[in-house]
Amino acid sequence: MSISKHGTQHKQAFDEPLWWGLFSAGGVCFAVLLPAVILFIAVLLPLGLLPAEALSYERASTLLFSVLGFLFVGAVVCLPLFHAAHRLRHGMFDISVGNDATNKKLMYGGAALLSILALGLVVAGMLG
Amino acid sequence: MNIQTKHISVKRYLPDSSADPYWQQYDLPVDDSTSMLDALNHIKEQLDSTLSYRWSCRMAICGSCGVMVNGIPKLGCKTFLRDYEGDIRIEPLAHFPVQRDLVVDMEIFLEHLAAVKPYLIDDNPVKAYDPRAPETYQQSPEQLARYKQFANCINCGLCYSACPQFGLNPEFLGPAALTLAHRYNLDSRDHGKKQRMAELNRHDGVWSCTFVGFCSKVCPKHVDPAAAVNQGKVEAAKHTLIALFKG
Repeated sequence: MSISKHGTQHKQAFDEPLWWGLFSAGGVCFAVLLPAVILFIAVLLPLGLLPAEALSYERASTLLFSVLGFLFVGAVVCLPLFHAAHRLRHGMFDISVGNDATNKKLMYGGAALLSILALGLVVAGMLG
Repeated sequence: MNIQTKHISVKRYLPDSSADPYWQQYDLPVDDSTSMLDALNHIKEQLDSTLSYRWSCRMAICGSCGVMVNGIPKLGCKTFLRDYEGDIRIEPLAHFPVQRDLVVDMEIFLEHLAAVKPYLIDDNPVKAYDPRAPETYQQSPEQLARYKQFANCINCGLCYSACPQFGLNPEFLGPAALTLAHRYNLDSRDHGKKQRMAELNRHDGVWSCTFVGFCSKVCPKHVDPAAAVNQGKVEAAKHTLIALFKG
């Protein structure tokens, strides 16, 4: 008992700063960028309050499939995904659902997979 | 003097006579200056000498008289009955094992405190005292201001009762211990940061905190442990990055 306790006692959490960093960055993007994105893409555009050609297919694809589009997806999709994953993981611990080691793999793994998918689509568009 | 009668319910636990805790009601005279601690003293002296609770200084500096008042961790001596209407329920501090009535076992808290080495660790200790050339620690007001707020902790344990993460996982170092670690890390006289970071940068160190912030709300000395713990997360992240590059 005392040996196993000593063994885990100084085990450094090398991964936690990474999750916390992504969570923090995602929180900033969530708060600063997403309201504007939702306002433009989900409110003003469907209501016809933007010029029709503002996000025409050609214009949207040129904007998205570029370095700037890559950064946009990273900031508006990927980082908020990790933010949400972190909250879900800690929320599940709070209500005692599952076990933290598994939840971590599921949540951060899911965020990583969806991020790779989103960024992969942008890269594919840039190449294609 | 406006004296009125108030009802207090105290959660009793007397393991010698009853296996289960139970509520006991007391009616007592109170005025505007009656604190919860005064009320408990009145019960002990006048109504029921079997009641057990901890107290010492009566002036919010010893940190002994922490209890739950209507579910919120409070210092008995700093909480006044004039601020409460109707039902007043006094319970032992949450998240600690109860020994008897309002007396809890704070062993785990003391272990966590000791783990973060909350004292000055100096690689170059002051030399043996020489009256002709006395050597003292030098510290500017700016250096003092960096940690002063975090130095006001009285180890009352209210923040541990307020912390849902400590409630879920008693191995979590918790608000007060992490705050004291941060306090000594910020002290210009100290050289023990490396040793403390090994404790802080564990899952049960700063990373178990989810920034609920209730610790800072209940702190009777306005230490703001939530701020200290989250500054500790920044330090732990820096510590990890430096360790990565140094190998």
